[in-house]
Amino acid sequence: MIKSILIISILSFSLVPSLNSAEGGPCKDYGDCDQFKPDLNNMASLQRGVGTFMKYCYSCHSLKYSRWGRVANDLQIPEDIFFEYLVPDKDAGPYDLMVAPIHELEIDNAPPDLTLVARKRTSSWVYTYLRAFYDDSSTTYGSNNLVYPGVNMPNILAPIQGNQKLGCKEVPVLAKNGGEKRDEYGNTITKEKCGYLKYQDGSGLLNVEEFDEFIYDLTNFLTYVGEPSRAERERMGVYAIIFFIIFTFLSALLYREYQKDYH
Amino acid sequence: MVTKVLNWINYRLPIINTFERHLSKHPVPKKVNFWYLFGALASIVLILQIVTGIWLMMPYSNTEEGAFASIEYIMRDVDYGWIIRYMHTTGASMFFAIVYLHMFRGLLYGSYKKPKELVWIFGCTIYLVMMAEGFLGYVLPYGQMSYWGAQVIISLFGAIPYIGESLEVWIRGDYYISGITISRFFALHVVALPLILIALVFLHLVALHEVGAGNPEGVDIEEYIDDDGVPLDSVPFFPYKVLSAMPAIGVFGLVFCVIMFFFPEGGGYFLELANFEEANPLVTPEHIAPVWYYSPFYTMLRAVPDPLGGLIVMAAAVAILFVVPWLDRSNVASIRYKGILSKIAIVLFIVSFVTLGYLGTVTVTETGKIMSVICTLMYFAFFLLMPIYSSIEKTYEVPDRL
Repeated sequence: MIKSILIISILSFSLVPSLNSAEGGPCKDYGDCDQFKPDLNNMASLQRGVGTFMKYCYSCHSLKYSRWGRVANDLQIPEDIFFEYLVPDKDAGPYDLMVAPIHELEIDNAPPDLTLVARKRTSSWVYTYLRAFYDDSSTTYGSNNLVYPGVNMPNILAPIQGNQKLGCKEVPVLAKNGGEKRDEYGNTITKEKCGYLKYQDGSGLLNVEEFDEFIYDLTNFLTYVGEPSRAERERMGVYAIIFFIIFTFLSALLYREYQKDYH
Repeated sequence: MVTKVLNWINYRLPIINTFERHLSKHPVPKKVNFWYLFGALASIVLILQIVTGIWLMMPYSNTEEGAFASIEYIMRDVDYGWIIRYMHTTGASMFFAIVYLHMFRGLLYGSYKKPKELVWIFGCTIYLVMMAEGFLGYVLPYGQMSYWGAQVIISLFGAIPYIGESLEVWIRGDYYISGITISRFFALHVVALPLILIALVFLHLVALHEVGAGNPEGVDIEEYIDDDGVPLDSVPFFPYKVLSAMPAIGVFGLVFCVIMFFFPEGGGYFLELANFEEANPLVTPEHIAPVWYYSPFYTMLRAVPDPLGGLIVMAAAVAILFVVPWLDRSNVASIRYKGILSKIAIVLFIVSFVTLGYLGTVTVTETGKIMSVICTLMYFAFFLLMPIYSSIEKTYEVPDRL
């Protein structure tokens, strides 16, 4: 009886129409965010990421909940090397918070702290955002971003990535049933659609794949710094789950044995 | 030696008698199903919440400037602070999940029927206190959703005529949400409500042990007793009930660990992503949604255009649970022996409650609005029509023995 009640209830939910479609995605004009899969055990990637962060981001963005020593230690960078090459503030010690000089001055509209950006907006958002800048002469900084239209941040990585502009391309026209429309000869009918990122070959230090990897490392680092215990958490989780599987199995056997007393 | 000490104490304080009466020899129905395990699981989660809560309290700072940073301090700098915090946040969601299943069990098998009315009422009061406890706790990390969630909930009281505005100020302790609000919510969350909760759980259990636990058949096991007055269809709590709960605890631990270690944010439903940003009174988040366990009631609030009306509907939705023992006029307790009308009613009830829950987590659309009104009506119809459909339908005969 209960089973049929549950089955009927569950089936009736399939009748609930999707009500979520009206909402715009988090990556705005870009469409769906590019999926990012962090690799928090890849020390080389995280080390490159912290290097990029300190070189390009730290002049404006703090990681004010994170401490220097923890990062050096987690990323397996010897402290003397870490402080000599990566930390610009020579008075900073391992227990100091990673507060950028700009945040020590109390100014309005200071660039945001990035410690938790990957948790708040998701890593995929960060990864997509950092690759979605394009030239736009109408803005103060001469650049804009598809993921964050009107963002008040200059395209700081432009010399590395090279020029990216908005362009148009031919896309298939979709029929009402979702399929592609074809003309009488069977060719797909297309129309011009604009708002796509177009990359100008050879205009930056890195090519597209290299730049994606460069941003991957940076995003990987920001994912790490959002939750530094995550790698350890996932390692411990496996043992906890194994423990409960064994516990459930043994206690089920014991229960079965005792149940014989009254059945 | 141990026996001697125990006897010495028992002469002055009835520990052995109490232990035997409520634990070791307490008779429980020998045949129940998995629905009867959620009470035990709920008490385990309650203990977990209290213990992790105590440890979280030590490094937490209940100030406007320090609250958010102290949570990050717990997550980063306190040894294993992250595991304690995730246990507490996962525990909160699991507590509600278990309590919802536990309450649903009550509706399925009539766990409120005479003489269990008080057990049910204490249970409903526990649920009410838990809702307040959860809300207060959610404000403490002082992220964006803490702040704006509190703003929405406190402003509900503002809808009450005449005293509304003063009531809001009284709750906040200030003209807007501030450090004073945080520290009073902290005091209520860690001292006042847990004390009330523990007292209520105690009463819930004492009342339950007085009238005896139910079973899915709705059979009164007290009818057939042996020479010592022990029901024939019962087994002692220890070791039998304890052992039957163990595999359930194992499965629950497994689910708990999968969430805690691999999906602590629960896809944004257990820890909302906007709460990873410190509270900012000047910036409203794009989409304010309550945590999943409040969302059915939040949808009901939104379904009524008038704020006071919404508040009344929401309060009534919880209040109506208290009178269920008097709404159910059926001569049988369990859904197994009830008629077709009760069965249809309970299916519609699950559908409406889960749909309401879903609607509360998404932005409002036109279809959503209509559906939330329909589901709110279905929710209330389940209770308000209960005296009618439970009394006119034809029920089946309940067996004598379990």
